[in-house]
Formats: sequence, C-alpha cells, structure tokens
Amino acid sequence: MSETLAKTEAIVKKGKALGADEVVARTTLGRYRQTRFSNNEVDITVAWNDYVTDVAMSWQKRFVVTQIHDFQNVDETMKRLYQLVKASKENPMYGGVAKGEFQYAKSKADKAVEHLDQADYVLEAIEAARKEAGPDLNAGGIMFSKLEDVYLVSSEGPMGEDQRSAVELSIRAFSQREASGHGVECSSTIKGFSAARPGQKAGELARMAKNPKDGVEGRYDVIFDPLITGSLLAMWGGMTSAFQVMVQLSVFVNKLGQKVTSDIVTMRDVPASYAMTNRVFDDEGVSVKENVLIDKGVLKTYLHNTSTAKIFKTETTGNAGLPYPGPWNIELDAGDMSKDEMLRNTKRGLYLTNTWYTRFQNYATGDFSTIPRDGMFLIEDGEVKQSWKDVRISDNALRMLNNIAGISKERQHVHWWGEADPPSLSPYVLIKDVQITRPK
Amino acid sequence: MDKDIADFALSYAQGKKADYAEIRAHTEKQEGLVMKNGILDAYFVAVDDGFCVRILADGGIGFASTNKWTKDEARAIVDMAYKFAKTSKRKEKISFAEEKSVKANWKAEEKEKISDVSSETRIETMAELDKDLNAHGVNVPSRMLQMGSTLSEKFFINTEGSMISSYVPRLFVFGYITVVENGKPEQTYKQFGYSGGWEALDHWKLEEQMINETKVLQRVIKEAKAVKPGKMDVLCGSEVAGIAAHESCGHPMEADRILGREMSQAGRSFIYPGGPFWLGTRIGSEVVTVVDDPTVKNSYGYYEYDDEGIKARRRYLYKKGIINEFLHNRETAAKLKTRSNGSSRAINYDREAIVRMANTFVEPGDFTEEEILEGIKEGLYMKSFTEWNIDDKRFNQRYVGREAYWIENGELKHPVARPIIETTTKVFWSAVDAVSKKVEYHAGTCGKSDPMQGVPAYMGGPLVRLREVFVK
Repeated sequence: MSETLAKTEAIVKKGKALGADEVVARTTLGRYRQTRFSNNEVDITVAWNDYVTDVAMSWQKRFVVTQIHDFQNVDETMKRLYQLVKASKENPMYGGVAKGEFQYAKSKADKAVEHLDQADYVLEAIEAARKEAGPDLNAGGIMFSKLEDVYLVSSEGPMGEDQRSAVELSIRAFSQREASGHGVECSSTIKGFSAARPGQKAGELARMAKNPKDGVEGRYDVIFDPLITGSLLAMWGGMTSAFQVMVQLSVFVNKLGQKVTSDIVTMRDVPASYAMTNRVFDDEGVSVKENVLIDKGVLKTYLHNTSTAKIFKTETTGNAGLPYPGPWNIELDAGDMSKDEMLRNTKRGLYLTNTWYTRFQNYATGDFSTIPRDGMFLIEDGEVKQSWKDVRISDNALRMLNNIAGISKERQHVHWWGEADPPSLSPYVLIKDVQITRPK
Repeated sequence: MDKDIADFALSYAQGKKADYAEIRAHTEKQEGLVMKNGILDAYFVAVDDGFCVRILADGGIGFASTNKWTKDEARAIVDMAYKFAKTSKRKEKISFAEEKSVKANWKAEEKEKISDVSSETRIETMAELDKDLNAHGVNVPSRMLQMGSTLSEKFFINTEGSMISSYVPRLFVFGYITVVENGKPEQTYKQFGYSGGWEALDHWKLEEQMINETKVLQRVIKEAKAVKPGKMDVLCGSEVAGIAAHESCGHPMEADRILGREMSQAGRSFIYPGGPFWLGTRIGSEVVTVVDDPTVKNSYGYYEYDDEGIKARRRYLYKKGIINEFLHNRETAAKLKTRSNGSSRAINYDREAIVRMANTFVEPGDFTEEEILEGIKEGLYMKSFTEWNIDDKRFNQRYVGREAYWIENGELKHPVARPIIETTTKVFWSAVDAVSKKVEYHAGTCGKSDPMQGVPAYMGGPLVRLREVFVK
C-alpha cells in the first residue's frame, strides 16, 4: 500500500473509530498547469498544486462532507465532522454508499502532460491560425494540463488508486473585430495531440466569418459544429443527473422509458480512456462504466450514485460525485451523414460553431436561450453564403432534441471553459426549425 | 495560515532577478448545507488554506500556488512562477502601474459572529423557511435551499513593501423553487448575500421574500397575459436595472476585456481602442449614472483593499450617460497609462487576481416611485427577471420578465407572462428618461476567467423608466 493510500485509509479508520456508520475518503494530489494567452502573446502561466482529501461521513442517515488539506489537522477535523454529523438532521431518503469490492481497470494516465512547454504549443496554434486567416489575426485562449493521483478508501469495502491526466488547448482567433472562430483540442494524453489543429480550425472559421451581416429572425434548419454540440450535450447530459431530476432542474422529469428525442439519437455517458475526465472509479469507489442515457430516442436511465439509485429503485450507474451524481463524458453516437453531405443537403439554414451564456426560463419545460458566437453562417443551396452576427437561439431544449434530423459520422472530443463542460464526443448535428431571434 | 512561510516565500522571491513579486495567503473557513424539500441532503465544512506567488520578470508574469505550508514548497512555487515569467516569450513587455506601498489591517463589520452560529441553528433556519414555503396555500413541489458562509482571512505582501491583512465573513442563501398550478410549472431562484454576521437575516427577510416569490409565480400561472409585441414604455425594477448595470455597463468597462485579455472566454467589449465607443463617448441619456463601489458596507462585494493591495473607491463607469472610467488593475492601468482603481480580485489563493466588479448599480435620481409610474400611460413594469443573457461584446442582451405587470394610466394592472426585452446596450441606456430615488441591491455571483472565478457581487438600482423600447 502506498503511503498516501495508507494516510487516506487512516482517515477512514479514524471516522469509524469515532462512531460513524460510513466513511469515504478520496485524496487527490493534483498538479495543474495553465498558460493563458491573448493578442497573440502569453499573458500568464499558472501552476497550482493541490493536496486535498475529500471526506464523506454518514451516521444514522445523516450525511456530511469536509475537506482535509495536505493531511493537516486530521484528528481535529474528523472529530468536528463527527460532531457535525451527530448534530445534523436525518435524511430518510439517504441510501448509503456502495458496498463490496470492485475490480478496477488499469489507469492509462500520461505523466508527460505535467512538464510540457505550453508556450511552444500556444505559439504553434497561433501560427496555424495565422496561416489560415493572415498575419493580422488576433488570437487568445488557454493551454491546460492536469495530472492527478487519486486514492480512494471506503469503510464499505472499495479501495483503489487512479491516475488521471488531461490536456487541452483552446484558441479563439479574430480576423476582424466581429469575425472570429474557435477551435479546441482535448485529450487525456499528449500522444497524438496537435496544437496546429485547433489553430487551423479557429483561423479557418475566422476567415470565413469576415464582414458579417446582421442576422435575420426566423426558424432555420441549423447545423451545429461539434463545439456547440458539446454545449448542448453538456446541457442535456447534465439534466440526466438524478439530483437535477429530483429538484426539477431537468426536462427529463418523469420521462424514463418515454421518447424524448428523435429516433436517430443515442446518447451515452462514457468515461473513456481518451476523455479529459477519464477515471476508473467514481467517488464512492464504484467502477465506472458506459451508460446508455437515450437509446434511439427513448430515455433509458438517469445517472445515479448508490443513494439516488435506491430512491429510484435501481442500481448505481457509477456516477457518484461527492455528494451528487453527474455525467463524466457524454457521447452522441455517430450518424450516417458526413459534414459535407449535411451542408450540401441544406437548402436554407445556418451553420453555427459556438455559443455561450445559456440560460433557462424554466428547466422543467425547457424554455431557454443561448448566444451563438464566433463563426455563424447562412447556408443557401448547400453552400455557405454569408457570415452573420448578433443572433440568439431562443427555443426549447426538448423541442430541439425532438427536431434532431441529422448526425454526422465525424466526431470530436470537445471541452471548452464552463460552456462545453463536462466534455463530450460530439458530431455535427442538424436540428430542424430552430428559432433565431435578434435585438431590436 | 503560516505568515512566516509567506514571508519566507517573499524573501526567496526577492533573491530572484524579478521586477516585482507578491505573496497572497488566503484561509477560508467554509460551511454550507443543501436542503431539498425540507430534507437535509448534505452539510459541508472545510478550511481552504494556501498561498500563491505572482512574479513579474522580463515583461512576463508567472503564478504558482500551493496548500502545502513548507519552505520547500514555497521555494518550489517561487521557482516555478519565476521560470514561467522568464519563459513567456512575450514581445510586448507587461508592466504594472506604479503604486505606493500600503500597510493596513481591515475587516468587515460583523455584529453577530457567524462562527458562533451552530450548525443546528443553520439547519433549523432553513427547515423553518422550507416549512413556511410549503404551508401558505401555494403548491411548491420542489424546493432546494442552500445556506453557506465563508470566513475569509487574507495576508498580502509584495516586494514594494505593502503588507495588508484582512478578514471578511460572508453569508449567503440560495433558493430554487418550482410552483405548480393547474399542472403548469413556473420556476424561480433568489440569492441573498451579505458581508458581515448572522444579522444578515434581519436584513434579508427571507421568509417574506421567498413566500412572496411563490405567490408571484402562482399569480403568473393563473392570471398573466401575453403582451402584444411592440414599442412601449418600460419601468424596470431594481433587479432588472441591476442586472443591466452589471451586464451592459460593468462588464464592458473591465479594462482587461477592453484590451482583449479575456477574448477567448468571457469575451471582449464593444468599447475598444480606436472603436466608436471610448472614454467621453455618450452611451446613455443624461439621467444615467452607473457606478461600481466595493466600499458599500456589508455589501456582498465589499472590500477596502483589492487583491493587489490598492485602496478601493467608488468608480463612476457611466456618468450622466457618458463612458467615464474603466475598471482597472495594475496591469491594465499601465497599458492605458493611468492608475489602478482597485478592481483586482481573486476568489481563492490558487487563482490569479483579475479585473472584477464589486457592487454595480444605477445611482438614484430625483423621481419618487409614484411620479415615475404616473408618467406611463401604457406600458410594462418588469419588476424582476428570469432568463437573461448578453453577447460577449456586451451589447446584445435579453431580459425575460419573471414578475411583470401591465401599466395603464400610471396604475399597475394584470400580470404579464414572460415579457421579453431583447435590445442593445446603446438602445437600453439611451431610452432612460427617469430614475427614482431609492436604490435596492440584489446579490449575485459574477462569473469570469478560466478557471472560472465566481465572485460575490451586488447589482442594483432604483426604478428606471425607459421610453419606447421594443417588448415581445
């Protein structure tokens, strides 16, 4: 047993010795590096080292959580936590944490991500964007890497070690003041990672977006780029969390077994080895697995931890967070069209490449709006005819799911800031009759 | 917090050939609970405690942080930050605006110490609120209530001789509720925030405000009518005036956005060097003055010195309709050849301090609330909002009314169902012809930066009357 795992186990034993029913401790030794850039130059390079143990404790259906940093003040903190759990209030719906022993897959983390010369990658991405859009291009973004050693011990049996790595380059390039494109490259490993690829995409879109015209209100068939699809998948995937369902922050309340999308949609949560959020166990120590959320249009499951699973009379899906379940990495199954076919078959529509600021009027009904940014294009007779600006998608999340009419063969692993988070494996998606509005 | 380690880190940084170095230590005691439909879901306590170093060398900036309080770790993060600064490969060198060194010790006023409030009392307070929400004749099937506190102690030192210690306790409550009437759901959330002690509850009147929200939603479902789209006079309540002040004045006036530093995430601004809008340009009518002021006592965004050790003061962003003063930190101030106005904030020791708002609001005008309402023959009163958003240059915005009423001859009539203002910053602020006397504040969490930093903020204003804006 490693020293860190032993220290983590000691925390659990301490909690049990005090009288707790269940104790789960997860220690993360995280090394995070980020380079931020704008105006084609590096603004700052940041490193943060985090040594933290998240501890969850239950006693007589009372549930409390805390954090211990760098194994400091363990006795004092655990005593305080035990006092707190005893002073807390019973949750009759609490169903406990996972019990038993689990076999975990081997971690495939890439230690090399920690010591990259990020500035070099950044400059390569900027150069690639410039090649597409010219020397006057102005680019900004981030390069990020994560390397985490994770140690988990549960009083109920699970125990394991994991190493998690991720690397991301996100670049937004402006060819003119209101003409921009955004590209991302996301991976769990530096192998095969390309800084030029997102730069090229951002530059190409920025070039196409030049001289934008005011958009026109109306309903359009819209082709969503993988990046903006990633934002939609994050929105829809997040709503499958049993917690969000229980507090009605979801369009999927009471819809298990029902048709919630068009037939061509199959959506999964897959903590795959390629994903930035790769892992071998969840926060209770349950082995993670693939879960089919929507199968050919029908909602199959919510995402659960052990406790929410009991409420819904099912099994945990291996999506426990501390304390709430959520998706790790959402995949939309590939379709049978190519991006080019999708474009060619569109008589009059839009091609949108990114969005931000998604806000709901009502999560239960799904009414919301979001503001496309970066390249947005009018398509006529299968060709990009015009670059647009200043439009908004003002529609309904369920209606859009049901209007998905095409999914591309090509897919990309995307993540961006808080907007396309959690990450996803995203195709190009064609959605019919999307309502577009603009300011007056 | 080990101030000796912080001192050691600064001394060690002084041994480098750096132009500037600072150490910011931050200890935050956090406590919070989530209650779902009257059941305590989880209770959280923690102490987050660490320090960071920021170094300016050869025109580049390096930053590193840790929560391990040892000399070895201090050396390691200083070495790392120095290396990052030196290898930034910048052509245009970064500098910081000159400032005098400061020695200060400040704290927010706390009448009833939060640390004295037991977990039982916190749980009971939320349980009582939940019970009240569920027992006044409105069907509220989903109620999620959160209460949290942070006791934030900071210690700032830099190579220019500044040394500032501070303590700010904060309390917040967040409520998300769903009201169902005739099978139709409506949802709302309310956030309450305060820098100070447990006395916050006396100010908030949680029960009264939250119960009122449920009644408003019930009435919206039962009685609200759609508005006939068209141009009309609109009276914005303090909540709507506040979000507009925050989104379409505060954000575009952040100098780091103006200079492009946030271009990839939160975006840029419709204000930029060489553009149609700059200092001295008209953006609103004569009666529009929007300020940002961290020094409002007990406000959620309260501070006396920012995270670069600069004294805080009121900033007049839009003054009588004119773009007047940007929000600056030392980096942006140097670039625009001015002085910092104390707008640099970081949410934690492991985050870079960047340009942020604190409390942004429309300054009061001369009208009484009666006078301002009487001046509308036919129009809309949008008291509060639900969905909202704005583009990343902070020009194209949308506010959907949560509580809204039709106005006829200066009197409020029936509720209006989700009226929408979708307009531009210029149109919105230019349409204002009257502002009432009494400012009200609303708590919010302002998001910016990568990794995201949500900072506590107030936004607010008096009643603000707009003439002839399009509503749908």
